[in-house]
Amino acid sequence: MTPLLSFRDVKRSYTKSVPVLDGVSFDIGEGEIVGLLGRNGAGKTTIVRLAIGMLFPHAGTVELFGLAPTTHPVEVKRRIGYVGETQELPGMWKASELIALHRKLYAEWDGALERDLIARFALDTGKRIGALSKGQAQQVALLCAVCHKPELLLLDEPAGGLDPVARREFLETTIQLLNREGTSVLFSSHHMSDVERLGGRVLLLNEGRIQVDRDLDALREQVCVATLPSRLASDHARLAELPGCMRVRQLLDQIHAVFEGTPAQVQDQLVQAYGEENRAHMQCRVVPLEELFIELLGGERLEAAA
Amino acid sequence: MPLEGQSDTPALAASDMVIYITAMQLSVNPSDDLPIYRQLMRQIMDAIAGAQLELGEQLPSHRELSERLVIAPLTVKKAYDELEKLGYIVSQRGRGTYVADSLPRRARRVQNEHLSEAAQRLLSQAYLAGLSFTEVVQLLKAADRTLAHDPTRSTPPSKRTA
Repeated sequence: MTPLLSFRDVKRSYTKSVPVLDGVSFDIGEGEIVGLLGRNGAGKTTIVRLAIGMLFPHAGTVELFGLAPTTHPVEVKRRIGYVGETQELPGMWKASELIALHRKLYAEWDGALERDLIARFALDTGKRIGALSKGQAQQVALLCAVCHKPELLLLDEPAGGLDPVARREFLETTIQLLNREGTSVLFSSHHMSDVERLGGRVLLLNEGRIQVDRDLDALREQVCVATLPSRLASDHARLAELPGCMRVRQLLDQIHAVFEGTPAQVQDQLVQAYGEENRAHMQCRVVPLEELFIELLGGERLEAAA
Repeated sequence: MPLEGQSDTPALAASDMVIYITAMQLSVNPSDDLPIYRQLMRQIMDAIAGAQLELGEQLPSHRELSERLVIAPLTVKKAYDELEKLGYIVSQRGRGTYVADSLPRRARRVQNEHLSEAAQRLLSQAYLAGLSFTEVVQLLKAADRTLAHDPTRSTPPSKRTA
């Protein structure tokens, strides 16, 4: 079956020889919810813009429904919905005018869903978009992105800059849409609690590549963080070479290492490597996504030289 | 929605059902050590053990729970699927999901591990608070009386608290 979205060895840079994406490959299948995570500048927005055809890849291929979005813009856009962090909505237009334009553009427009969402958001569609709050403007953008019943919804940091209430409302609406329409979603977010609530699969971008591509629950249950005193594992390379080691970093007098495996498995592995007598000094635990993100991407803090 | 196995409860309107289910006090915390589907599983199992959910009682639909807790419908499905595998709930195609009419005995080894951890926690807290072992036993007896209707208990209270 053709995936809804497919990236094959995609490369893209904005400045010569500084790649933002340096060989990115992944597929999104029907019904999948995929969270795109990474630090600022990791290339999340670049991936979404490549997917909607706003950018060309410099190498590799991007396909939606088996079509390149840059050569088949109309066919592709008919089947996707997009909400960006800073949506460029025409501020002088009334919300009702923008919605009417979308209604005309899309043959499959669902008028009932439109009325539903307007009522739910309590939108005053007679207002100019420029006069709406940021949260309301995002709701208009979401409405315009979903009422043609897209097969794939692309949300680029959709709740960025929204207050907690507006962010939760946006999440509630997204989840209601998942329930009603079964849409597939690719979303980027810095809010790990939102990622946990939306579930599904996680893509972690780091240094232009996908460092982690895994089911969220598997990541939460089968990846753990080990802490060792740095005197035990002063040789980072040796630790990093143990099977399943994903990251090693120093935090003052401790070494933090991210491993594949349950805490019990990783503990056994570490005891084998560093000796039974050190068992009590090595702790392994599963951690929430936010902590895992920091363990995988956070910097080191070296001890001050004595 | 009919409430099976609840003959002593007056019939509830659909909107009351929601309130009744919240007696189960489901909530999710994304920054918990457990993934959300595990949190749901544990809370539903606790609700069954604490008799907030009766044997044979209907559970909220995937959609209802997903929208109420603001979590993905697939997460609810995963929690229900796992609970069904363990034998705590049964889903009937097109009708909904129900607490099983009889509950499984969990694998004894797993159960013992959890219970011995819980017992150690209880005892160390009690000793910290200055309680004696006999007083802890009295606490347990009192707790046992409040669980008189616990559907998970294997022996009737009369036999155990003789």
